[in-house]
Amino acid sequence: MTGAPLIELRGASLGYGSTPVLTGVDLSLAPGELLGVVGPNGAGKTTLLRGLLGLLEPLAGTRSGRPRSAYVTQHEQLDSLYPLTVAELVAQGGLRPRGAWRRPRPASAPAVVAALAEVDLVAASRRPFSTLSGGQLQRALLARALVAAPELLVLDEPTSGVDPESADRILALVSRLVRDAERGAVIVSHDLPRLATHVGRIAIVRDGTVRLATARELGVDQLLAAIAPAGEPSA
Amino acid sequence: MSLPLILELFGPAIVATLLAALLCPAVGALLFVRRSAFHGVVLPQVAAAGTAAGFAVLPWWTLHVGLAGMTTLEAVDSPHALAGYLLGWAFAGTALGLGLLHAFGRREGADPARLAVLFAVASALTTLCALSAPVGGERIDAMLKGEILTLDWHAVEVLGGSYALVALLLARFGRELWLVGLDPELAQVLGFDRRRLELIWLGLVGITVAIGSLLVGPVVLFGLLVIPPLAARQVARSLRGFQVVAVLLGFAGAVGGLALSFWADWPLGPSVVVACALCLPPAWAEGRRRRLP
Repeated sequence: MTGAPLIELRGASLGYGSTPVLTGVDLSLAPGELLGVVGPNGAGKTTLLRGLLGLLEPLAGTRSGRPRSAYVTQHEQLDSLYPLTVAELVAQGGLRPRGAWRRPRPASAPAVVAALAEVDLVAASRRPFSTLSGGQLQRALLARALVAAPELLVLDEPTSGVDPESADRILALVSRLVRDAERGAVIVSHDLPRLATHVGRIAIVRDGTVRLATARELGVDQLLAAIAPAGEPSA
Repeated sequence: MSLPLILELFGPAIVATLLAALLCPAVGALLFVRRSAFHGVVLPQVAAAGTAAGFAVLPWWTLHVGLAGMTTLEAVDSPHALAGYLLGWAFAGTALGLGLLHAFGRREGADPARLAVLFAVASALTTLCALSAPVGGERIDAMLKGEILTLDWHAVEVLGGSYALVALLLARFGRELWLVGLDPELAQVLGFDRRRLELIWLGLVGITVAIGSLLVGPVVLFGLLVIPPLAARQVARSLRGFQVVAVLLGFAGAVGGLALSFWADWPLGPSVVVACALCLPPAWAEGRRRRLP
């Protein structure tokens, strides 16, 4: 980890309308850092991600840094009714607004192949994405994010609904992508033991606040307590 | 009947049907993957209810609001003035339907029960308005049966101009619309304005349905918006292929429907639907073979 932070939230309140969901958020992410985010359902993990991505402006406090960001959706949210090939899906990652009268362009074929090569999925490029396994689809979504050469990768539960072997492979892949290209990455996951072995720090989102700790400091028991539903003891 | 005579008598109806066949499956493809295919049935029916309501209140309208200074009977005899007036009502009906569907929920697709209720209410209103309309009852009947053989070239110009606008909007915003339908969060992260795109989408569907419902009838729209994309999804292997196959199947269905209509002396609307539906069994067989969702 070197240099200035890619993104920094200082005393930030994040929420919708004028209602904060999270308050007093102090969080920074350096290039080459992999940050885990955990917390019970409904605690505000998605709100934190939206704040980091710049989709929500802080209601109070500051947010600095505007890295080129890419978002990796949960693969289960994609509707298999869409008749996209894997290559077409990945090419979507290159779309950007180009003004009122110009059509956005998808990523070029060489860029798509390069991104698929990063996730070892070139052979599946012509297959309909709906025929991929959960792990393969998650890697395809990672390729879709990589095609835009992002400085910040944000992944929403990338190991959800995939087998353990694929989950290990995805997290190892993300670790490598972060390390090799000095990117920052934020991963939301409920797969705590696996997450703890790959990330440096973990942001625990609970009771309207964000607490930061290293995975070593916390240990698996405290992490499990951190994602327990409200009403049960927290870490 | 010789071909030149057929073209002279029914040219506008033939061209209007083929124009609808080129555009509606492309719009229907997006409706289909957004799990809103039933909108392709509900919205034309709501637009038809708007048109029928326009006929029902025409005497009141000419008396109290005014229609180019015409009486009711003069308005009925003036195709241009009447077309503009009815178009307004078709748009109002479509806008109301879109507003209700929007309120029911966009992303997940509206609850089928609510859609069914909207369809049932629109059908009932169409019938009641047609019965209570002092003029134009036979035109409403013809529209509902899918009899469009009385169209004139002015109507084709209106349809062509409107559908050219929709085609331009689809060409310009198609990529964003596909992305926002598949992954709205990513679209937002990439910098696209979701709300603006939803408005463009609603406008695009609104123009397609309101104009089409009035000029080629709701039955033709049912067939062209819903059936070709359903069949194309089973056959196509890519996004581009899906759109191209949907349009080709729609066009083939329209040509087949025209032929069937002349050969069997059936109304054009149902003939197009039957012709389009003929492609479904082989498409389903192919989809089953490929184990598609």
